[in-house]
Amino acid sequence: MIAYLSNIATLAAIFGLLAATLNFMVGQAGIFSVAHAVFMGLGAYSGAQVALLLVPDPFLACLAAAVVAGGLSLCLALPALRVRGEYFVAASLGLQMMAVTLFTEAKGLTGGMGGLVGIPQPRIFGVVVPVLPLALVALVVFLLLMAAMQRGSFGRTLGAIRDAESAAEALGKNVAVAKALAVAFSAAGAGVAGALFALHLSFVNVESFTLEQSVLIMAMLIVGGTGTLLGPILGAVLLLSLPAALSFITFIPPTDIGSVQQIIYGGAMALLMIFRPAGLLGDQKRGRSEA
Amino acid sequence: MSIALTCQGLARSFGGVQAVKGVSLSLPAGQVTALVGPNGAGKTTVFNLITGNLRADAGQASLHGKPIMGLKPWQVARAGVARSFQDLRLFQHMTVRDNVLAATEPSGWFWQPGGAASRAARLARAEAAMEAAGIAGVADARAVDLAYAERKFLSMARILAAEANVWLLDEPASGLDLSSRTRFQDLLKAARAQGVAICLIEHNLDVVMALADRIAFLDRGEVLAEGEPQAIMRDPKLAAIYFGDRK
Ligand SMILES: Nc1ncnc2c1ncn2[C@@H]1O[C@H](COP(=O)(O)OP(=O)(O)OP(=O)(O)O)[C@@H](O)[C@H]1O
Ligand SMILES: [Mg+2]
Repeated sequence: MIAYLSNIATLAAIFGLLAATLNFMVGQAGIFSVAHAVFMGLGAYSGAQVALLLVPDPFLACLAAAVVAGGLSLCLALPALRVRGEYFVAASLGLQMMAVTLFTEAKGLTGGMGGLVGIPQPRIFGVVVPVLPLALVALVVFLLLMAAMQRGSFGRTLGAIRDAESAAEALGKNVAVAKALAVAFSAAGAGVAGALFALHLSFVNVESFTLEQSVLIMAMLIVGGTGTLLGPILGAVLLLSLPAALSFITFIPPTDIGSVQQIIYGGAMALLMIFRPAGLLGDQKRGRSEA
Repeated sequence: MSIALTCQGLARSFGGVQAVKGVSLSLPAGQVTALVGPNGAGKTTVFNLITGNLRADAGQASLHGKPIMGLKPWQVARAGVARSFQDLRLFQHMTVRDNVLAATEPSGWFWQPGGAASRAARLARAEAAMEAAGIAGVADARAVDLAYAERKFLSMARILAAEANVWLLDEPASGLDLSSRTRFQDLLKAARAQGVAICLIEHNLDVVMALADRIAFLDRGEVLAEGEPQAIMRDPKLAAIYFGDRK
């Protein structure tokens, strides 16, 4: 039972980090992406390779993951950010599709469909440490960084771009640079989450980095509320614990849990969009359409 | 009297429509140049060509003698040209203070250069701009919650805070009541006294006559006349075009 709860808590911290960093792009900068799982994947593979080939040092794994995911996101974002709003969503969808194929084909780096197995447990100074405290520390560090940015001039820059891009430019802001930085920061966070995910499961393959995963992360964000610091984390906890909670309800036959879960997800999303369109913790004024 | 910004032969067409055909303009420092003309004359398009929001098919523009054609909008802004938008484009979900602060923070990087001293100076600049625009009382309200006149003055406060020496204002006084309009005129007069070169797109002739040192009359993408306000306003041909009963 303890192991079971600690597994859920670890995943909640990891997905909380994913949803919170996606929120930085979506809620803070207004850049919609459905490719967050790609950067999670890049981080997972890099972190896993560090642990497999060098040392199972979690800090080194996370650092490598952040650099690879953040760096590659810059290469991808710079051309893609030239297009506006809804087209970026399409570009990120294309990236998501392409990345799954690449992850499957680049067998030397990713292990292909079979994935990377036998990733050693993380060790700090030779002592095995569970991933839960590491994930919590990573989550807190990223939340603090995001809170600081949100209050400072970079947060204002991103808010200005989100609300009126041309007006932000007219004030001298290099919008392309600001957007690219927001994307790189967000992708680096997703990379760290990916590395911790790989270390936690000691196995990764491409199935964890598909469009479904990106959509799940987006759903966590929407349920919790975009543009808030803690909303995405609440969303992650809720969406991750729902399947677990259902499995405790004894009168549902195990074979039907999947479809019951779908019905609850669908119904909850519909109710949410009607009654709290900006998410559970979101700014409700922002959710409603403004005439 | 030095010329702050000039443009020569600006042209731009959309599809088959020539919206701007060879417009030349000079904005002297410390003067208000009113850009008037009927709807669709191409006034906003001229602004967009100068600021790099639209690419010109032909023509040149220079700021204090340095060419600015082909620069990106943010580069033109950093060179010292501030503009307002006909539809305001406020940062709706940010507070009034953050809207104005953003105008003092040109860098798009993670932080602004200059450290704490410069941060304090920027905050002071923003507070002064809000004070001057008469919106200090609503500094903590979000832009989306402001009343109409407050939104217009917030747009002006952003320009004040940007400390540019050329202002391109696109119908900043439209829809203001008489007392707000007077307040607006005082704001512009103060900036003019400090040497700002102001180009003002304005339909209200009372405002134009109260402020303009010079008028450029634009019709169908061409400057039909440019000069002293009295002379332009007395021309019956221009009046006929302006008031819509052209032959
Ligand atoms: N981005 C654009 N794409 C296509 N046509 C445009 C564009 N911008 C302006 N136009 C056209 O160019 C012409 C001039 O428009 P502009 O907005 O410059 O006029 P204006 O003088 O500012 O008018 P108003 O007083 O109504 O604001 C109009 O016919 C307009 O439809
Ligand atoms: Mg116009």
